[in-house]
This record gives sequence, C-alpha cells and structure tokens, in this order.
Amino acid sequence: MEGRKYEAKKITKFSHLFLYLLFFSANASFESSFSFSSSSTNMHTNNWAVLVCTSRFWFNYRHMANTLSLYRTVKRLGIPDERIILMLADDMACNTRNSYPAQVFNNENHQLNLYGDNVEVDYRGYEVTVENFLRVLTGRHETAVPRSKRLLSDEGSHILLYMTGHGGDEFLKFQDSEEIQSQDLADAIEQMREKGRFKELLIMVDTCQAATLFSRLYSPGVLAIGSSLKGENSYSHHLDSDVGVSVVDRFTFYTLAFFERLNMYDNASLSSLFNSYNPNLLMSTAYYRMDLYKRPLDQVPVTNFFGSVMEMTHVDSAYHAFSGKTKYETPHIQMPSSDQSTDQAEQQELRTSDASIETKYSVKEVKPGNNHLMGQWKALLDMVEDTDAFVNYGLLAMALVAVISSWVLS
Amino acid sequence: MAENNSEDSSSPPKKRKPRLIAFVGDFLISHSYAVSVFCCFAGSVALLLLPILAKNTYLSENALMPGSAKPTFSSQEAVTAKELIKELIDWKIIRDENRMQTYEIIANHMAETGADVYYHSFYSRKKQFHPMSFFMGAPMEDNNNHSSTHAVNSVGIIRAPHGDGKEAIVLVSPYNSDKMELSDALSVGLAYSIFCLLGRAAWLAKDIVWLAADSKFGEYASVAEWLKQYHDPVFIGKKLNFHPVDGDIQFVRGISEDFKRAGTMAAAIVFKVLETSQGTGTDNVNIYAESSNGQMPNLDLINIVHYLAVHRHGLHVEVGKLSSLLNSLWLKMVGKFLEGVSNIVGSLNPKWRFALPVLDYVEGTAVLASSVYHQALGVPTGPHGAFRDYQIDAITLEISPRVSLNSEMARSSFLVRVGRLIEGIVRSVNNLLEKFHQSFFLYFLTSPSKFVSVGVYMIPFGLLVMPLPILAAALYSGKASEALVQKSDPFNTQKSYKASQENPFPSVGSWKWIHAAKLVFAVHLWATIISVLPSLIYQASCTNTTTNFLIWIALSIPSFFFFYWISLSSYFHSNDAGWAILKALTIGAASIGLGLMSIINFATAQIGAIFLVPMCLMVHPLRQIYRGAGLGELLHMVSNVVLGLIGFPPASFILLKGWSQGFEEVNMGDLWVWVENLWSWNSATYLYLLLVHLPCWVLCLIVLLHP
Repeated sequence: MEGRKYEAKKITKFSHLFLYLLFFSANASFESSFSFSSSSTNMHTNNWAVLVCTSRFWFNYRHMANTLSLYRTVKRLGIPDERIILMLADDMACNTRNSYPAQVFNNENHQLNLYGDNVEVDYRGYEVTVENFLRVLTGRHETAVPRSKRLLSDEGSHILLYMTGHGGDEFLKFQDSEEIQSQDLADAIEQMREKGRFKELLIMVDTCQAATLFSRLYSPGVLAIGSSLKGENSYSHHLDSDVGVSVVDRFTFYTLAFFERLNMYDNASLSSLFNSYNPNLLMSTAYYRMDLYKRPLDQVPVTNFFGSVMEMTHVDSAYHAFSGKTKYETPHIQMPSSDQSTDQAEQQELRTSDASIETKYSVKEVKPGNNHLMGQWKALLDMVEDTDAFVNYGLLAMALVAVISSWVLS
Repeated sequence: MAENNSEDSSSPPKKRKPRLIAFVGDFLISHSYAVSVFCCFAGSVALLLLPILAKNTYLSENALMPGSAKPTFSSQEAVTAKELIKELIDWKIIRDENRMQTYEIIANHMAETGADVYYHSFYSRKKQFHPMSFFMGAPMEDNNNHSSTHAVNSVGIIRAPHGDGKEAIVLVSPYNSDKMELSDALSVGLAYSIFCLLGRAAWLAKDIVWLAADSKFGEYASVAEWLKQYHDPVFIGKKLNFHPVDGDIQFVRGISEDFKRAGTMAAAIVFKVLETSQGTGTDNVNIYAESSNGQMPNLDLINIVHYLAVHRHGLHVEVGKLSSLLNSLWLKMVGKFLEGVSNIVGSLNPKWRFALPVLDYVEGTAVLASSVYHQALGVPTGPHGAFRDYQIDAITLEISPRVSLNSEMARSSFLVRVGRLIEGIVRSVNNLLEKFHQSFFLYFLTSPSKFVSVGVYMIPFGLLVMPLPILAAALYSGKASEALVQKSDPFNTQKSYKASQENPFPSVGSWKWIHAAKLVFAVHLWATIISVLPSLIYQASCTNTTTNFLIWIALSIPSFFFFYWISLSSYFHSNDAGWAILKALTIGAASIGLGLMSIINFATAQIGAIFLVPMCLMVHPLRQIYRGAGLGELLHMVSNVVLGLIGFPPASFILLKGWSQGFEEVNMGDLWVWVENLWSWNSATYLYLLLVHLPCWVLCLIVLLHP
C-alpha cells in the first residue's frame, strides 16, 4: 500500500512534469518568435558605428581625415569592421593633388597613415547620398544590398553616429548637391527606435552650427553632441603645408586627443569626454543634448559607444555546451531531451541568439528572474531532487509515448 | 494732380483714370527738364563716388587655397635657371653660323626635364581689317599674306603624374630671339626653373604647358598663333623646313615637330622680367589683365596673385594707373570736399563716415580711370589677351626687381622670390576643380586689392542715360520745348504742362517726324560708309599716317554733303519746330546706341555717355538762343559750343592726348595710328565711335546750326 501510494505519487508527479514540459515547449517557441519586443529591452548586446563624411573635393580633405580618424579610434577600441558603416563622399587618398599618394594623414607630422591596410569603406564617392544615409539608418534597403552595407543593429545595440561636413542652421550638406535637414534626421531616428534598431544612440556632429542639426530629435535614448552652437563656425585645427590643405577639424582633433589616452579597458565616462572640450581651443562651443537620455553621463563609460565593451554578469551555466553551435537557424525548440542542463542552456541561448550570432565577440548579460517562465522552470527543477530518477522517468515516458503512438497508428 | 483725380472719381467716368505706370511716365516726361538735370548731376556724383564704393577683393573660390602649401622652390632651382640664363646671354656674344638657335637651346633644356617638347613655327602676319569679325577676337586667317621670315616657339608639356590629362595650366615666357636681352634671358630662365620644379611635383592634377614664345613679331602674335593652332588644328599644313639641310644639329630625343596638346586650359600666366628696377625697396609685380573689348579674367586669378605676392612673399603689386591724374588739382579738391562731407556726416553718426583719405581717393581714381580706359579701348594690354579670346583666364605679370640684376647674388635671390610666387600661383590654380567661375568677370579695379563690381558701376551709367529717352519723349510730344526755352519762367512751364494735359500727344498722327528720321538715317548711313574707308585706304598702302588721315577726312566730308543734300531738302520743308523732332530722334538714336554698347563693352559706353549725354541734352539751335539776351542764354550758348567741340572725337582725342602728354607732341597722324590700332585689334570701340558717337555729334551740329 505504502509502495503503491509512493508509486502513484511518483506517477502524478511525473505526469505534472510531462504536462509542464509540453506546455513549456509551446510557450518557448511562442516566445522565441516575439523576442524582439518582449524579452531583452534592457540589454546592451552589441555596438555599431556609422561614420559619415558628407563633403567631397580636395579642399575638404579634413572631413575625410576626421572620419577616418574616428574609424581608426572605434576600431582600436573594439568595434569590429563588420559593425562599422563607413561612408566617405570622396577619395582623398587617390586624389591627383595628394602629394602622398594613397595616404591620408590627420596630422602634419605624418606619423599615422589613416588609409592603411584595413580600411573598409562601405559607401564611397557618389554613393554617399541623403537617401542612402537614411536607408542605412532605417534599414530599408533593396534586397540586393549586401549585409556589409547594412546597419544590422537590434534593440540592444549602442550606435555611434558620427557626421562631418559642411552644415548650417538645421541642415548638413551632402556631396555639394543635397542636404539633410534636422527634421529628417529626427524622423529617421524615431523610425529606428520604433523598429527596435537601437538601445542607445550617440550622435556626434562636427560641422558649423552643429547643435542645430539635432535640435529636432524627439526619440528617447538618444544623446547628441555637436561641435558648435547656432551661429558659430567649426574651424579646422591646422594646415599641413606639405599636403597643402587643412587636415583635421578642431572638435575632432580634441576628441581624438581624448581617446588617444584611452585603451579598451579604461573607465572614462562620457561626461569626462564632454567636459574635455575647451571652447577656447575649439574656437566654438561644444554642445551636448541629454534631455532624451536617461542614464547619468558620469556613469556611462565612453567605451559604451566608442568601443565594444559591455557589462558582464557571471552565470553558473556551462558555456561549453553551445560554444561552437549557433541555434539561430532553428529557433524552435525540440522535445525536451534527457539532459536538463543542456535544455536550460538552450533556452538561455534562445533568448540571445537572435540578437547576436557572434557570441565570441559579445558577452551576454543575464538577469535572472526577468522571465516568469524561467522562474517556474526553476521551481520545477527544485521539485525534482533526484536527477537520475527524473531522467529515467523521462526515458520511460518517451518509450511509452512511442508504444502508444505506434499502437494507435497501426 | 490730386484735385484732378478726385474730380475724375466723383464725376461719371468720362475718362479712364490713368494707370500708375502711365501716370509716372507722363509725370517724368512733363518734368523732363528737372529729371534731366537731376539724373545728370546724380550720375556725375555717383561716378566720382566709385573709388569710395570700391570693395576689398576676396577669394570667392574655396578650392583655390593660395599659400596653404609650403613653396619648394629653392636656390637649387635658381642655380639651374642661372645656367640657362648664362647660356642664353653667351649665345648673343658668339657669332657663329652653326650655333644653336635660341629655341633649340630652350627646347633641349625642356627635354632634359623629361617633358614632351615640340617646336611651333609661324610667320608674321600683316595687320588686317576684318569688318565682319568684330567681337570675335584678334583676326588670324589669311595664310597667303605672311612674310618669308618665321619665328619658332618652343613648347614643353609636363603630364600630371596622376592626373587624367584633361586640363592644363599654361606658363608663357616671351623672349625676343632677335635681340636677346638680359630681361628676356631672365624670363626664360625663371620659367625653366619652375618647369624643372613642376616636373618633379607629385601634386599636379593638371598638365603644365610652358610656352617659350618667340616675340620677334610681337608677344601677342606668337601666343595667339600658338593658341590658334592649339584650338583649330590644321591637318593639311605644310611642315616648315627651318633647319639647314646639312644639319649639324641633332634632335634631342623627345623633341618633335608635331604639335602636341594637353587638356583644356584652366588658366594662363604670362610673366616677363624687367631689368630696370623701380627703386621701391621691394620687388614689384605689375598685373595686366585687360584683354580685347574690355573682357577681364576672373577676379579670383588677380586675387591669388595679389594674395601670394603681398601676404606671402612681400612683393609690391601694382595695376596700371593714369599717373597724370595723380597730380590733378581738381581731383584733390573733389577728394577734400568728399572728405569734408563725410566728416560732417560722421560727426552726426560715426557709422555714416564714408570717405577715403584724399591721397587714397586720388590714387584710387587714377587706377580706376586707367582700368576704365583700357577696358574701353578694347585693345589687350599684353599677350594674355590672346587667351581671353578662347575664354581662358589669363594675366600678364611684369616683374621688376628692387635692385639691378647684374650681380649673381641679386639674381639668385630674386629668382627664388619670384619662383616661389609663381609656384604658389600654379599650385593654387592646380587645386581648382572647375573653370574659374565663382568671382566677378565684370569689374573695374581701383587698386590691386579693391574693385568696383558691375552692380555698382552700372548705377552712374544708368543715371546718365536715363534722361535721354525721357527727354526724347518729351520733345516728341511737344511738352518740353517751351519748358526748355523758357526755363527761367516756372509759371509758363506750369501753363504749358497744363496745356499738354489737355492734349497729351499733339504731334502723334502727323508725319512730320519722317523728314527728320530720313536725315538721321542718312547720317548713320554715311557713318557706316566712312567706318569702312580706313580699310580701303590701308589697302592703298600709304605709309604716312598723316596723309592717310587727311585722305580719310577728305573722303568723308564730300560724302557727308552728298547724303545731307539728299535728305536735307525734305527736312527744310518741315516747319520751324522741326529741330525738336530731330533732336528727339538724335537722342533716341544715342540712347539706343549707348544701350547696345553697354552690353558689348560697358566701359566704352560709360566713357561715351560722359561725352554724349550732356551734348545731346543741351543742344539747342544757336539762333534761337541768340534771340534772348540774358546771362542764362549766354551760358547756354557757350556750353553748347564747348560740348559740341569736345563731342567731336578727333577734338576730344587731341585734347586728352595733349592734356596727358603735352600739346607739342600731338599731330594728326597719331589719331590715325590710334584708329588703326582700334580696328586692327577688332575693338568694338571703333564701331561705337563711328556708328554711334560720330552720327550723334553730326546731328547735334545740325540742330545747333538750325536756322
């Protein structure tokens, strides 16, 4: 009697577990298809940079040098090439007037060739248009556009948008032929937010009257800094008398000077960057707009935007189980297998795999308890004390299901 | 008038209320006398204010960036230049039949730098009168008309190492191969050293063409011949065999006789070194910019030269000025007066102070006068004029050293200074992305760094010309005649005005004007015929200029009387007031002529208006004035005679020449030379003088002598 009772209890327990498993698998597949909107809004998963030089012609050499300098900096601080969209409106390196063919410098000491081996320009020359720029931001590309030319960010991305060129009151000139207006930019960014293309966005603009360009922004999570206020010009820093042109703008020069002191592991905050601009040296007033941005600037490391360093939380689960595999192709879950720990790891991966395939670059942040299903699953696991018995019952149940199904079918 | 209007509105609409524009026109015509006086006065004041209204020049084109690159011209280049200079000067001393020609020496040096080198040979051409090719640049067509001697230009082309070869910058160094002076050798040497330097430059985006122009037949001719060949290739041209048959001279590799080309010319710089020092303490650069028919190169080109010369290399830059104006007393008085006015205004509000110091004003006026004169003349001031005919911006730089260049040291430091200037100009133009187009093409200079733009200098001309159509309309409609005659009586004017209100156009409908029109037409026809005469006289090839001039006069006067006789019979049959209609038509013709000329060559029209407008406005039959006996009538008569005298082109020419150079040097032949100069350069000023100015003067004379 005692034994039967125990047996019956065990069976009840098992059936509960079985039902739970079925229910959970259904739930999990449901969740995986809607993971954009629900599961990970608070996670910073990856970093992107869009670097735009909008002006062409030899005398705008400095704009290309600005952009290439920023490109070099963010690469040095850890953003890989495939997450940088580099738009250069002209090719100064191969300009016939360049007395250093195929080289671009941002300093008259000529120690650093910005146009070295590993420069991947995604949009060059006449491809740099307002249309293409807005397409990159909003992700509305023609199907033929390769992945390398797309901004494949998600709702966990931090994006750095750097723009330089000739601007004016609420516009930025592209290619000497068209211009983007501040309202266009604001609308494009709102569209990005609605589509979950970023978590936080830092816009950095180095043009004349740069502050006017982001005056129309209204999307939360956007931080913007510009080199000059309305009515102010942004000036070039110095002239290279060998090349015969100005090679860098003041705002960018001092930005670079700030970053040259940093490496990937430094903890400098955005406020320290923003406060490093000296109006007397810039000959203009750097202005940053933070009413749309929630986090206090002194607690945000610059590497959150200019590098690819993310907050890391240690979790107990075993990483070796999925180290080589990508489950992105098959997001729906199989029937639970015998190994629960693998199962659990799979669930964890499921939550993040759609966000990032390259798990080796990004370290995932896991906050336990943010998912009630996970909590239930944990409680259930706590219920099962004897893991071996659980596995055995699982096998038995599968065999039973196989027998019943074959019997029914026959 | 207001009463009239209110009456009109209250009474039933018998008469339509005049529209505003008709009313204003009617008002102006009725007050044509006051309008004329006001406009002429305002025009003259505006003309005198031009030097004050001049603005500082500025570089419009961003791409140019003059002086942003460090010049690399060093004493090393000066050494290479000096070698060539020495060779050229030694060449003069050697009297050997088998010696190399100068063009060969230059071409061999060119070839050493690795450039494409070729010879361009051409014949001298006679001056030609081409009545059909006015406004089309200097004439160069007739191939049969050349003499047997020829000159040879040496041309070198550096291809830009990374460039696409679609554009080129031209450097021209004229030299006279017949008598090689030190200055010629210096020009060529300087060009050679720059050419060497540019041959090594990695930053060239445009090809560099160096034309060592043999100016045996004139600097302009050599450049123009080369440009013509460059732009209009002759495919069946016969090769000129200019080498001795036994030919000891070996062709250096790379030199060919085939005409080679680079791309479209972006700009051209002609530079000449003068031996004589100006004694100003610094090297002096004299800029010549005027080319045919008052065309100017883009102001940016002058700005580059001025900026680099003054702010980078400490040279002194000058543009031409009429030095006779510098000491003119009345100009100083005008300057003092303007300064005084400006001080009074400035005491009310310091911001309103406008005048320049007297010396600056006089200097500015002298430069402005020279600028206007050279544009009005329509004759290019140097070889750069040939480029402008192909729409290429070009200037001539005449560089004179501060000390004599006989010593080696002085020569070398001078070459370095000037070489750096020209290198800087080339590098700046090399940065250009398109043709020069940002800055002004229509301007007068009042100093190398100040200019009067077209928007400003049109105002005085507009003010001067505006009264002409108004007065013509007034005379035609009969509203002005009494007002002009009895201008001292305002009441009478009022009456005549009121009378004319009742019958606005008394003479419309009558055909009285047809006789006067016939006369005007006959006079213009006569003018057209005598404008062709000089060419015929020239064909008859009298060498004496005075004789030529006298023949011209002798032919002109009888032909005039012939035309006069044809049309006069009908003219005298018209009534006594016929002179008013004639005057109206004369003024109408003058305003049309001036208006047309202002489009072709503004400066000519401007100067022409100064002479023509007062004469046309004041002219009145002397006999009618004589009837009155007051002081006003006397003044009117005297001014009529004086204006009539000045308005005669030969008279005004002799007066101006005598005033600037002294009367004892003036003779009739000069005028012929001047006129011949005008037509041989295809200056539109010649057409203006003979087709607009002269007929108007003759018609004014007829009005003056009206019985």
